[in-house]
Amino acid sequence: MSETLATFLASTPLLEEAWRLCSIANTTFPGGYLVEQIGSVAYVAFSGKQMDSGSEQRCRNLVPLDAEDGGPFAPLNRHSQAEEPIKVHNGMLNLFLSMYPGLQIQIAALMGKVKSVVITGHSIGGSTASLSALWILCQLQSTSSPISTVLCITFGSPLLGNEALHRSILRQRWGGNFCHVVSKHDIMPRLLFAEMVNHNSKIQALLHFWQWCMASPHVIVTSLSSQLPDDIKDTVFHCVLKDLELLAQAEDPSESLFWPFGSYVFCCQEGAICVENTVSVIQMMYLTLATGSPSSSINDHLKYGDYVAKVSKQFLKARNFHEEGLPDSSYEAGVALALQSSELTDKEPVQDLGFSMQNSNPRKEVPIMAKYCLQMAQNGDKPNLTAANLAIKLSKIVPFRAEIEWYKACCDEADDQMGYYDSFKLKGGSRRETRVNLNRHKLAGFWNSVILMLENNKLPHDFDRRGKWVNASQFYKLLVEPLDIADYYRTGMHRERGHYMEHGRERRYEIFDKWWRDRSVPEKENKRSKFASLTQDSCFWARVEEAWEWLDNVRSESDVTKRRLLWDLLHKIGMFEKYARELIENKEVSKDVVAKNSSFSRWMEEWKELKSRVQQLPPWFPGFVDGEVVP
Amino acid sequence: MDSHTLGEITGFREELIKKTCSIAMEAHKSPEKPYLVEKSRTSSDVFFSFPGSWSVTHWFTRKPFGAIKIDQSELLSPKGNDKVATSIKSIGRDDLATVNEGFLRRLEMILSSSSLQSEVEKAITEKKQIVFTGHSSAGAIAILATVWFLEQYLKPEKSRLSPLCVTFGSPLVADFIFNHALRRENWSQYFLHFVMRYDIVPRILLAPLSSMEGELQQILYLLNQKEMFPIQGYIAEASKFYETVMRNASALASHAACQLMGNTNPILETVASFIELSPYRPSGTFVFCTGNGKLVVVRNADAILQLLFYSSQLCSENELETVAERSLNNHFDYQSALQESLNMQNVVNLDHLEGLQLSSNGAAAENIATNMALNDLGMSTRARLCLRAGGEHEKQKLINQKRMDMKKADIEAGLAMLEDYKIKSAVCQVGYYDAFKISKDEDDFKANVKRLELTGIWDEIIELLNRYELPEGFESRNDWVELATKYRRIVEPLDIANYYRHAKNEDTGPYMYKGRPRRYKYTQKWREHALRMPVGSSGESCFWAEVEELQLYRTTNPGTFEDIRERILNLERKLEEWIHGKQISNDVFLEGSTFTKWWRSLPLQHQSVSRIQGLMNS
Repeated sequence: MSETLATFLASTPLLEEAWRLCSIANTTFPGGYLVEQIGSVAYVAFSGKQMDSGSEQRCRNLVPLDAEDGGPFAPLNRHSQAEEPIKVHNGMLNLFLSMYPGLQIQIAALMGKVKSVVITGHSIGGSTASLSALWILCQLQSTSSPISTVLCITFGSPLLGNEALHRSILRQRWGGNFCHVVSKHDIMPRLLFAEMVNHNSKIQALLHFWQWCMASPHVIVTSLSSQLPDDIKDTVFHCVLKDLELLAQAEDPSESLFWPFGSYVFCCQEGAICVENTVSVIQMMYLTLATGSPSSSINDHLKYGDYVAKVSKQFLKARNFHEEGLPDSSYEAGVALALQSSELTDKEPVQDLGFSMQNSNPRKEVPIMAKYCLQMAQNGDKPNLTAANLAIKLSKIVPFRAEIEWYKACCDEADDQMGYYDSFKLKGGSRRETRVNLNRHKLAGFWNSVILMLENNKLPHDFDRRGKWVNASQFYKLLVEPLDIADYYRTGMHRERGHYMEHGRERRYEIFDKWWRDRSVPEKENKRSKFASLTQDSCFWARVEEAWEWLDNVRSESDVTKRRLLWDLLHKIGMFEKYARELIENKEVSKDVVAKNSSFSRWMEEWKELKSRVQQLPPWFPGFVDGEVVP
Repeated sequence: MDSHTLGEITGFREELIKKTCSIAMEAHKSPEKPYLVEKSRTSSDVFFSFPGSWSVTHWFTRKPFGAIKIDQSELLSPKGNDKVATSIKSIGRDDLATVNEGFLRRLEMILSSSSLQSEVEKAITEKKQIVFTGHSSAGAIAILATVWFLEQYLKPEKSRLSPLCVTFGSPLVADFIFNHALRRENWSQYFLHFVMRYDIVPRILLAPLSSMEGELQQILYLLNQKEMFPIQGYIAEASKFYETVMRNASALASHAACQLMGNTNPILETVASFIELSPYRPSGTFVFCTGNGKLVVVRNADAILQLLFYSSQLCSENELETVAERSLNNHFDYQSALQESLNMQNVVNLDHLEGLQLSSNGAAAENIATNMALNDLGMSTRARLCLRAGGEHEKQKLINQKRMDMKKADIEAGLAMLEDYKIKSAVCQVGYYDAFKISKDEDDFKANVKRLELTGIWDEIIELLNRYELPEGFESRNDWVELATKYRRIVEPLDIANYYRHAKNEDTGPYMYKGRPRRYKYTQKWREHALRMPVGSSGESCFWAEVEELQLYRTTNPGTFEDIRERILNLERKLEEWIHGKQISNDVFLEGSTFTKWWRSLPLQHQSVSRIQGLMNS
């Protein structure tokens, strides 16, 4: 299937158009980019020839992408402080930022004129293209724009960022917007896998050489690399191959500083395959390079025109599998054909590598590893089936949810008038609550597994827009999150970790918030005539808990001189009160909130009492009127 | 594989096929006549054939593919409130088929300006076997005429004899929903399409107009030459045209194959959104002619699409000009090819595709004939893998159906339990609708869990239907239509009760417009389709929703009656019908029911003359 997908890509005019513009950008727009509109699609091609790319590029210097003040990539900010920040290559980021102001104007000019944008670039232009595409995707997320799709196609682009970048692109579900074309032996996309501190001058010489070649497109490529000293070629090739081999053989690629993201299209004379699984990408990078030579690894960076032309013509001709022993299962046969299309079959004459690798005989190892790697890439499960099975699992856990609903109804009707939240928080140990708690854990386990499957692309691409799942997750969130909050505060987690909303909220709820926000139904204003059956702000009780803390702080603060602090607290309390009143007025809360003995009702009473005392002390806060603080 | 003749495999008489071929070719000779009719002297067959048309505007009325939804024309989709919905759609999802506008308008024109309709009706009264046929674009007209006949005469049982349709080198006319509908109605078997291995015409509509605007008119002009035409002078144009069509066919076929294989990489859809993929898909039975006398019969539409692309591929690069030339010449080879094939009777029936041999050589004895025929169609290993994917997809649909069939017992048990709940609740004089709406007892909680369990099963069915992953006939299977109706009548009132209990109408709006789950909308349409009822006429399970809305109206606008008088009369009229038809049970009249309370609140003068007054008081 990795191969069928590549066949599809190659049958579209996209690869050829993108390359055509890249080569124009390389020769005619050094240091810049060109914009062309074809039909309703705009192409932006970044030149691979950059004036001053050498000096910074050789370092493997990563800098954080998520600036505190927002910046072009604000929506990509990491989820929590505990996670590794998103980092990208310093030089490439600077290059992008230097073009950013002009680019903003260019892209703004395209709005309304085109429906979709292809961002492309060769070599270092590819990484600028990736950053630009990333920026546009961030922008599209926050504004409603007539541009619906962005596709980034790079040719021989170096790696860009770390594992956190890879992961956040997966989480945003933008993996399908990046297509990196890598020719069989091209060393550029593999360069940053290697530790090259000792070889800076050589890398620089290599980059200069490539830059020079790009500007002179009419020189015949094969004779080119002879102009580069052999020791540079050898050192760079062996250095990269060695480090890549270590990485490819490790079970877990997390060792690597740089991580690939999006899909990779590996091209060779025999065909192309398209792979997105990280481990498979790294292994294919290694395996195909291992069949190359120092000069081919340099030349291949300049031969994308040939490769693109070749794969784009492939649809015309029937391609048979001529080897013996074609497996009979469709799945295995698919792998065998993909191997053929990546020239990694047993019959492939491997050039003498001229150095000793850890494996004594790489010729034999390569096809076996490649087969394994492609099997991994060729996910055996069908996403629609997985989704169907998930639907069955959902219906199996529905009774647990129903039981919690039933529990809520009982609490809300109970004589103690504490309501759902406080009953659960207070009676945590009793039998009924233990059962509810167990259900809560089962549901959490289910929903976490859904998210995990979605982020690993095991589910259909539109899964998070399917009504069934958006509604089910929203209902789950509104019903169960109050219990999570109750549990959090009952067990004192807030004293350990900090308040729930900042430090305790599970990521699944934030994801469900996003699904709910992104659903296609427009929000409609409706007046409720009775209280909602579930409080529409699932974090409401966490706000109440924080409000209690503020109230306690105000009361315990005897030092009247700390006006600033008190004023802040009272301001926050006032804001919360206003918010809560609004919710109640619109009946956006469930009746457990306003139950006589709920912690919210008790809070309101105590706050009212405190307020009357505060108001008797006019010199404190003259601007304090009726629950609102007027500065 | 046992060897059979073409007639045995397809169910079409061979002399009928031969006859249609010569009649189809004959029709081109009188382009001034909108159609030709010919009666067989030896049998009861009546043949209707059409001349072709070779103007670009007849093929593409608009960009990108000249296709429209069938409701843009009255021909296949009659309009009007009390009309039965067209069959040329998916029932539950209600996706209408898309067809080529040019060909549809042409048929409209023929029907309105000629005596075709009266000739057809005459043939019906004479109990003749009607056969529509056409070569090239006339094949498309024949297909649409056949569907028009099926929809117009066979479906309402104005005719008991199904028509037949035989085409030669016809372009594709409609999308996959068209195929879905034909298969569901069991009409697919009446269509037989012959395609020569290299004939470009059946593939032309796989490419968007914009990609071939320069060449198309010229190529169509060449195809219009009735004698052996001087293609030699146009090799360059022919090659370019062939390449364009094949590039687009490749994109379409590989996109379809990725979907069949269960692709998870989101890049597929991103890239697809940048290009124009043809909506046209094959339908009916296809017979591919290898060019050396062999015939390959295929029914799997996914596989036919792959065959259309792969069988025209080159064997080597230097073949381009030869094949491009043949892609035009082949369009006129049907008569001779058919003659040869019927003499040879080397026919392969390509079913059980999921087990197709992948390698082109070394077949086991029983597969030799299939393997050789596929080789003669140029089926490479990659092509065969795609054919298999088509077969596996079909098999998967059957597996899905089996899985749902196994759940019928669970559904029955769940319904029985809710039936009990209904009876128990009636004892307390409130009815299960109101008992559930109040939800005070453990029984109500248990009923709710059962409701949710059943919801899970039905939602799964709906989900499968939405993705077309059940066999096409599923929505018209009697056992399922009946079970679904039973389910809908018992459980939907509970959903409505739940909806109004939680005041969801204030969140989202009235149940009927905003809150009704698809599992009920779909299954209502199943019943209406199966019994040929007018659209929306089987809404008995929504009775309570209308009661709730009318009651709400009365509460928010106290004292008003006249504004909703029509709605009330309508509801009473329907209720009477449903009670008599036992589609709604008497528990709605219990003392504690929302309905009774609401009805009693209506003005007395209305109550006293109401048609259901008797029912209320009994």
